Amino acid sequence: MKLFNHQFGELEIEEKHLLNFPDGLIGFEQNRQFIIVDDENSEPFRWLVSAEDSDLSFPLIDPSLIVGGYGAKLEGSADVTMFVVAALSERPEDSTVNLRSPIIIENKTGTGRQIVIEDEGLSMQYRFITPSAENAK
Amino acid sequence: MLILSRKLDEAITIGGKIVVKVIAIQDGQVKLGIEAPKDVLIYRLELYQQIQQQNLKAAGARKQSVRKAADRLQKSKPSK
Repeated sequence: MKLFNHQFGELEIEEKHLLNFPDGLIGFEQNRQFIIVDDENSEPFRWLVSAEDSDLSFPLIDPSLIVGGYGAKLEGSADVTMFVVAALSERPEDSTVNLRSPIIIENKTGTGRQIVIEDEGLSMQYRFITPSAENAK
Repeated sequence: MLILSRKLDEAITIGGKIVVKVIAIQDGQVKLGIEAPKDVLIYRLELYQQIQQQNLKAAGARKQSVRKAADRLQKSKPSK
């Protein structure tokens, strides 16, 4: 099937790759169908693109790339893929990810949810880019 | 906004399917027990609003900003 998105143009996708979000995303409850789009220039970010609203897409990132031990907080994370939603700013160092409410996708069923972790220590605006370009540690 | 007064152990019902009960009142805090169908999602309002705000901000990202951030991430790759 074909899908149009304003950022990515026309996308040819296989129906089996469609992800079903029965509750949408928080604040976007009406949007239930998404697809993951990879854009090589955006790596390691990936895109959660709405199949219903051509203006809607969310940059995602695998949290293990930016924080250690994060996934361990989730129990029963058997066959799931986890992402955090990234709010990216013009100035990269102002960019944040929301560690409090990750997106969990069941690989087998393609069902996705944005969950809320009951841990107030997890930041909703976690800065993951250090201000200085030099970060050799 | 509808305003109702309830005492400890009293409850209200919403739409016949949702019951909200006052479980405890202590030190200016009210503990609520909520019974609702599984498909009704329940959040603390301020938490919901903050997440919504972050999602809104994320949804506004242009490819360009993402590429910039991606470049910076690749450059400063932490060892772990």
